[in-house]
Amino acid sequence: MTTKTETASDCKIVTFTLGKQTFGIDMGALIEIREWDEPTPLPNVPTFIKGVSNLRGNVIPVVGLAERLGWEPSVLHARSCILVVNISGKQAGFLVDEVNDIVGITRSEIQPAPEVETIESSVISGLVRISTRAKDGTRDENGTMVLLLDLEALSLTKHLDMAA
Amino acid sequence: MSDELDEIQAIFFEECTEGLTTAEQGLSAMQAGDVSAETIAGVFRAVHSIKGGAGAFGHADLTAFAHKFENVLDEVRAGKIVPTPGVIKVMLSSFDVLSDHVETAKGLAPRPNDAAALAALEKVLADKGVAEDGGAAAPAAPAPAPAPVVEAAAAPAEDEFGFTPVAFSLDDFDAPSEPTASAASWTIRFKPSRAALANAGEPLLIIRELETLGATIESVDVSDVPGLRDLDPENAYFTWTLSMPGDVPENDITDCFDFVAPDSVIEVTRNEVEAPAPAPAPIPVPVIEATPAPEGAPEIDLIPFVPVTATIEDLTAQVQQVVADLAATPMTPTPAPAVPTESAAPKPASEASQTIRVDLSKLDLLLNLVGELVIRNSILADRLSPADRQRVELPELARLTRQIQDNVMSLRAQPIKQAFSRVPRMLRDLSVETGKQIELETTGETTEVDKGVIEKIGDPLTHMIRNAADHGLESTEERIAAGKSPAGTIKLSAEQKGARIFVRVQDNGRGINRERVKAKAIEKGIISADAVLSNEEIDQLICAPGFSTAEKISNISGRGVGMDVVRSNVEALGGRVEIHSVPGEGTTFTMILPLTLAILDGMIVRLANQRFVLPLAHVLETVQPEEGQVKRTSPDSEVIDMRGEYVPVKRATEIFGLNDDRPVEDSLVVIVESEHGKVGLVVDTIDDRREVVIKSLDQNLHPIRGLGGATILGDGSIALILDIEALVASTNRYTPKGLAA
Repeated sequence: MTTKTETASDCKIVTFTLGKQTFGIDMGALIEIREWDEPTPLPNVPTFIKGVSNLRGNVIPVVGLAERLGWEPSVLHARSCILVVNISGKQAGFLVDEVNDIVGITRSEIQPAPEVETIESSVISGLVRISTRAKDGTRDENGTMVLLLDLEALSLTKHLDMAA
Repeated sequence: MSDELDEIQAIFFEECTEGLTTAEQGLSAMQAGDVSAETIAGVFRAVHSIKGGAGAFGHADLTAFAHKFENVLDEVRAGKIVPTPGVIKVMLSSFDVLSDHVETAKGLAPRPNDAAALAALEKVLADKGVAEDGGAAAPAAPAPAPAPVVEAAAAPAEDEFGFTPVAFSLDDFDAPSEPTASAASWTIRFKPSRAALANAGEPLLIIRELETLGATIESVDVSDVPGLRDLDPENAYFTWTLSMPGDVPENDITDCFDFVAPDSVIEVTRNEVEAPAPAPAPIPVPVIEATPAPEGAPEIDLIPFVPVTATIEDLTAQVQQVVADLAATPMTPTPAPAVPTESAAPKPASEASQTIRVDLSKLDLLLNLVGELVIRNSILADRLSPADRQRVELPELARLTRQIQDNVMSLRAQPIKQAFSRVPRMLRDLSVETGKQIELETTGETTEVDKGVIEKIGDPLTHMIRNAADHGLESTEERIAAGKSPAGTIKLSAEQKGARIFVRVQDNGRGINRERVKAKAIEKGIISADAVLSNEEIDQLICAPGFSTAEKISNISGRGVGMDVVRSNVEALGGRVEIHSVPGEGTTFTMILPLTLAILDGMIVRLANQRFVLPLAHVLETVQPEEGQVKRTSPDSEVIDMRGEYVPVKRATEIFGLNDDRPVEDSLVVIVESEHGKVGLVVDTIDDRREVVIKSLDQNLHPIRGLGGATILGDGSIALILDIEALVASTNRYTPKGLAA
């Protein structure tokens, strides 16, 4: 379908949307994509922790990624899904609005994220422009800007430790 | 190659650890007055095995020391040295040095100074060793050996296989083909006693070992073999006479009999002239007819039925024939007591307490799988129609699954003795270092605890013992001045209460000086100067990070990390430390630990339509409150009237911030018991009772106060496990911490 020239790509990212933004994470961190399933709520945790879910016998936290990143909470809809990722040995599920694609990019294409937010170290490791496939017939001339997430910097557990 | 060797060596060290434990237990028993042959032999065997392994791996120092130690033990075992308290004391300190040597061999410690211990052992040998050959032999051959070996063996030890020189030379192995070659040969007479067989002293093995050294069987005396009716399959009736080339050192011969019970007849004599047919050859009564295939074993049952016809000469010839056959077919399983083909085989095995070494990770994997099996079993039960659920197969499957689970759990359970075993040694050292007299009393060492728990309480236990010896107990003078017995006592105990293990270290020392503790805590900035603290809170300060009241930093404790480590380690295990102190009478530290880390018997309850697991161990009873049974005592506290006893009531929904407007009369109150007393927890309903597999939340998240983890229910959904202690503690007015604290 796409006419990607794989020659130049040296890493693959999974792109997904939160609201109007497109984000990407390293393909290597992805474990699986699951349908949204209401997790078991946990008491006394920050609101972005939606609860815990059963991933084949593993109890994993489900994180409202939009809230974690400071955006409006995601509204659940039919295409809402959970990206299960591995963050330095720990597993977590991210609630995202829609999973789009897997694209190959080259590291040289990645631009550093501008330092805008100062409260915590940036969770955006860089920006990359990708050409998006034309889904609904409209052609995308400029491609889409993808915000690459630094999963480590999300410091899910550290953040939680402080909150708890 | 070297990897393989490392692996084997690792096994050896494991065995060393076990051997040391056995030896220590034996020595402790001896110290307590049990000087039975079995106990002594147990210690001897342990030390002997360590020596053997150490020799094979080229740990010259260890070998040399173990050898000397073994010599003394051997003499004690043979009754040539009386195990007086003095001798046992020397052996105990030798044991300590031996342990140090093992550490050195592992590369964990510098070479201990064993000169004093060696001298003490030497002295014991010299003083008590009687003029008998054994006494002479021990120092004669091996004693000079170890001393030079200590320095010299380093070089030879580096040969490819890491063997150290042992007393005999390989030349001995070439000798046996010519049994009668040397002039002054040995004659060995060996009659295993009943005890020898019972203790796995398989005569065949010993005779083979002797044969390896060059011995040949001269004759076998079967005259003691009774009629079949009287034959006791567990007894030994044969007496062997062997000849051994004269160039084999006597010690090597006696070494072969190391593990033979002391009441066996073992005579080693040197012949000046070759005596090929020694005394016991002629046989008066029982006869072995020249039956076909004189295999020895099956023939014996014929004995009583055969008329006594043959002449003594014939018999001698026949016996020799049998002996020759025996020697020729060494695989014959029953050389001595003939009949017990069945009993002989299991005997040695059971004596060696059949064990198998299993990698702990394999057990953990098994445990996980069984956990999943339990869950699948529940899922299956949930999916089936009620009618099918009642069928035999399902309850049977559930029962089997539970049994498997119990068994797997018990595989991981070990007596807490393992953790306690290092304490006596530690106290001996501490006693020397502090100059205090310390007596140890241990109870409940057989309490079984999960291996993971045992591994993790070692350090806390060490700190608690050190703390008790260093800070708790007074010096002898102080004790006498205070009118106490000069020797302080440390009581170490373990007991199981419900799903918890209580490990106590109790000293009868001076107790916690609360004034000083408080002053110190203020000085260190741990508490503010105007803080008002209860006695218990002051006691708890001991466990605060960076706290140490020791006036000078001693080698033992007092670096201000000890008790802090105790508390954090124990809490990491899901346990707690309690301190109880009475000034002038002593202090008790109690570690309260979970019995297992994996599976929980739980009650599934609903709170605001969410399912939670209440650990059943805490549940006392459940009541449906009648109107007026629950009363408010303040705007935010309630009590329930339980037959006249007022129990505080806690709304779990409030603790967790769940919406709940259900009147208490429509709810159930589960009365739970915790360390902080009884509390009633208000829950909506009770769904079920089942065993759940604990999945820790911190595996992927972090611990959440008030929750002991999560579990996966039969339908695949998650239920959170309530941590009763934390929930109840949050109601405790001394620690008014919110759940989210």
